[in-house]
Amino acid sequence: MIDQNKMDCTGSVSVAGSVRTGNTVFSDISVLVIDDEKRIRNACLNMLAQDGFSADQAENVETGLNLLIERHYDIILLDLMMPGISGLEALVKIRALHPDTVVIVITGYATLEHSIEAMKNGAFDFISKPFAPNDLRAVLTKAVEFLQTIQDMANERSRVRAVINHLADGVLAADLNNCIALANPAFLKLIGYKGDNVIGKPVEAVIELESIRRMMSDSCVVSGNDPGDLTREVRVESTNTCLRVRCIPFRDRPGRMLGVVTVVNDITSLKMMDQLKSHYVHMVSHEIRSPLNSVLMQMKVLTDGLAGELTEKQEDIIHRATEKLKGLANLSTELLDLSKIESGSVCREKDIIDIPELLLEEVNFYLPKAQEKNLVLSLAQLPPLPRIPANRMGIEEVVSNLITNAINYTPEGGKIEVNADADEAYLHIRVTDNGLGIPEHDREHIFERFYRVKNKETRYIIGTGLGLAIVKSIVQAHEGSIQLESVEGQGSSFTVILPIASSSESISLPMQPPSGNTGL
Amino acid sequence: MSEKPLILVVDDDPDLVESVCMKLENKNYRTAKAYDGVEAWEKIKEERPTMLILDVMMPNKNGYQLCDEIKKDKAYSNITVLLLTAVGDAVTSTNYTHYDGINTLADDFIPKPIDMDKLMEIVSDYMAD
Repeated sequence: MIDQNKMDCTGSVSVAGSVRTGNTVFSDISVLVIDDEKRIRNACLNMLAQDGFSADQAENVETGLNLLIERHYDIILLDLMMPGISGLEALVKIRALHPDTVVIVITGYATLEHSIEAMKNGAFDFISKPFAPNDLRAVLTKAVEFLQTIQDMANERSRVRAVINHLADGVLAADLNNCIALANPAFLKLIGYKGDNVIGKPVEAVIELESIRRMMSDSCVVSGNDPGDLTREVRVESTNTCLRVRCIPFRDRPGRMLGVVTVVNDITSLKMMDQLKSHYVHMVSHEIRSPLNSVLMQMKVLTDGLAGELTEKQEDIIHRATEKLKGLANLSTELLDLSKIESGSVCREKDIIDIPELLLEEVNFYLPKAQEKNLVLSLAQLPPLPRIPANRMGIEEVVSNLITNAINYTPEGGKIEVNADADEAYLHIRVTDNGLGIPEHDREHIFERFYRVKNKETRYIIGTGLGLAIVKSIVQAHEGSIQLESVEGQGSSFTVILPIASSSESISLPMQPPSGNTGL
Repeated sequence: MSEKPLILVVDDDPDLVESVCMKLENKNYRTAKAYDGVEAWEKIKEERPTMLILDVMMPNKNGYQLCDEIKKDKAYSNITVLLLTAVGDAVTSTNYTHYDGINTLADDFIPKPIDMDKLMEIVSDYMAD
């Protein structure tokens, strides 16, 4: 029975609909009303239509079940007391057919026993007759919220699944029984697995690599509260790749171990680049240095007059060419030294050197090159500067690299100035140009080895990308630092800051000839 | 005065061989040239040099191998072998431990890049013995 007065007050705006995001939300939600009383069915349908639900009705359980075989309903309003098949029996059948459908039972005499029985059998909620539309709305709102939460979770799960499945990194989750709970395509590809569905399979049926399996089990048995996070590099012979494998045990909230997540990155290209680097250094050592040295010896044969007497002019030219070649040979030596300098293993011997003299030599050396490009290269009027402990060849290389860069990256007609000053503790050497400047996003990388600013203007400038890496390493080996100021399109200024007093005790030690520790 | 001593110069860079030979000839030595290890062996058998100036990195047979074969062959072990290479810290009386960890039976070493004047000094020191 239903309270007619209560059911009549249906003119108001839908409470459920207004609380939620409007009627449109409910139009996606389908409701089936199963009740033998036509009045109640109509009253319910009325209210449901008003709130924007799409609703159907059935006057008995049989009809209702038939409808349910045909289609799915999100919510079912089910009268418990009906002739023929009882509502309770129907509830069990509905749950079997559509476990994710929310069933709200309508109980006749507000009998608690029936309601409890229904809830035990999987009803979501109950509403007792007589009820007002707002009572029904309250129950439906709760059901809709529940359905939406379920939907959100399903969406979230499919979103996470989509993300995981499209990661370039491989991800695999295994449970404590060593069975696979999740594996993305990238993982299977990286380990070279070619079979089909792997979910539920034991790990050893899928992962051939013993090393990865051992990591997975090792990460589980880490003692104490330490997260047994393990990272190792693993070589896969079958696909000729190198993987970085990370195993992370995962736990539930109380901290019980649930299994291991394994994340795999393909680092083959990194490894290849490393090899390429070694290869490059080797190439420099042999293919560039050897011919240079050979040419130097030919020059020696000429200057010694073994190929005939030389005129003074010829001797002068050969002398200058020899100096340049020596510079090149030294640079290639420095290239080989770079890695040693960077690793800090080379303690470079220092001399007391006169910076103005060195700067003048460098500027004079590069004058012809600057003039070729119609650049003004000048040494500023220097204040009196203290002599500082430094590796002469190193500082020469620093200055020569900075000047060379300035020449290369300054368009015709530009200016380059070399300057120096000192405060109490530090000597500053500054090379300033009004050239291309360095784009802001390149500045933080500019001292990295092999890094080069790449744009329209720099396309035709030849370089190895090693110059500033060498500069930085040498400056750091002197316990100094280097600063860069630059405005794109207006120029750059590099400042080398060197300590005037060295903490090193090797000042007066003679420098080793470069040939003594290199060669081959 | 007896016949001028013969020095065999072996390196895969013909320009380097040429330069060293010119310098040696200027110092009144006779020279022979070879450009890899195998060719060097043939020249050694043919010409019986007094001294070998031998590069390490060469195709066919490297300097280490050739040097050891010469020093282990009684017919040739008296040839002075100067290796063109870099050496490490551990230099024992006759065995040089190189950066790549290889011991050789060479008589002496010449670090690369070659200082021509120093090379001539070393050559004349050994020839005087």
